[in-house]
Amino acid sequence: MSSLHTKTIPASDMPDRPAFNWLDDTGEDADLTVMTRDVTKIYQMGEEKIHALGGVNIKIATGEYISIMGPSGSGKTTLFNVIGGLTKPTSGNVFIDEIDVAQLDANELAWLRCRKIGYIFQSYNIVKVLTALENVTLPMLFAGVPPDEAQDRAVYILGRVGLGDRVLHTPKELSGGQQQRVAIARAFANKPSIILADEPTANLDLKTGEEIIELMREMNQEEGVTVVCSTHDHKMLNISDRIAWMQDGLLKKIAKRDEVDIEISQLAEK
Amino acid sequence: MAHKEWHIDRLKMKPGLVWQMAVNSLKVRISRTTLTLLTIATSSAFLIYLLTLPRSDDLADQQTWYLMLGLSVLVSAAGVLNTMLMSVSQRYREIGTMKCLGALDKFVLFTVMVESAILGFVGAVIGVIVGLTISILLGLLEYGFSLFQYLQFDWILLKILAAFALGIFLTTFGSSIPAVIASRMPPMDAMRGEK
Repeated sequence: MSSLHTKTIPASDMPDRPAFNWLDDTGEDADLTVMTRDVTKIYQMGEEKIHALGGVNIKIATGEYISIMGPSGSGKTTLFNVIGGLTKPTSGNVFIDEIDVAQLDANELAWLRCRKIGYIFQSYNIVKVLTALENVTLPMLFAGVPPDEAQDRAVYILGRVGLGDRVLHTPKELSGGQQQRVAIARAFANKPSIILADEPTANLDLKTGEEIIELMREMNQEEGVTVVCSTHDHKMLNISDRIAWMQDGLLKKIAKRDEVDIEISQLAEK
Repeated sequence: MAHKEWHIDRLKMKPGLVWQMAVNSLKVRISRTTLTLLTIATSSAFLIYLLTLPRSDDLADQQTWYLMLGLSVLVSAAGVLNTMLMSVSQRYREIGTMKCLGALDKFVLFTVMVESAILGFVGAVIGVIVGLTISILLGLLEYGFSLFQYLQFDWILLKILAAFALGIFLTTFGSSIPAVIASRMPPMDAMRGEK
């Protein structure tokens, strides 16, 4: 049923899979939440051109938890921003749930960010003038959820991330770890298809960081949301389904966790 | 592979939420709000005071009056525009975050504009009251109770309206340019734009 305010966008023509050199093997019939095809991003810095992404092809299956590793400057953040519709790729296509993001106008992009994608940032990016509760409620209000319902769900998720007794605190009254928990609650609020977490633990101490990652893994399993998480930390790999390595704007390798475990144990034997 | 479809229900901007965010933002940044109000109030107070000053028949006096009027508008314009510009450009990060959460461009724009309009209106109210009070008090000192024969209280409503228009115009105009830029920016650029 389509009404005046509803627009139906059919699935885009998918690129021929064999034509590309996919590094990963999600399987022919896996449900894909994200697929990128030869995505490049070039930043113009004065006279100099910076190739942040040099043709990235990645497929991410629905419900999986994938970690992206790589040194800073390897293009992780740019890849996140392109997947999340926060910035346009210079060339190539990004498909989210089989829809080519490039065809969306400004309003539809807002809808995508609101309903399909949850963001978690390194620097939390909690709205400073709002309480924890209001921060989590906001994306639901943008999505058109009735205020009472939005508030109920916000209280529930805040309780789920362990902030049940702090819902009315402002960001100033919360520690870094607690702010990141608010950010996680906010990202999951609209039950998105995909959570993009860009180095969510970089500003946190080791123990808090581990707690945050574990929380994201639990939420990923409970809500069935796909999680893409970039990190420097090798300890975070244990809970991922797959791990991708990036270098100089290119995807170098993608492996399942058990394969990585084998490699590590082989290294240990030598 | 099963083909999917998206049913995009057009996001709608809720005026209630715009109002709530604008008022909230003013309340939380209370010191900045007070400062801005002071700037606007001073400008419109001085304007209304000048407009009600007794008119002199002396040509030189009249020229000085026009000069003062022009200068006062110019100085207050510069002050208010600068304040509004600063207050919006300091919030690029917040604006970027809101856009990541699904805020429409016009939601961002309207919130900033409503906020500025409130500032302009409240500032003008304070300014008009203070300006008129000063004008009347000084008139009493100078002319006693026959002050209204001397002060220019003809067209007074129009003059008050002018002070309001100045206040609201300066605040909304001052914030409109950075607000339009910020609301159209891709969210990531807005978040990086903060210095």
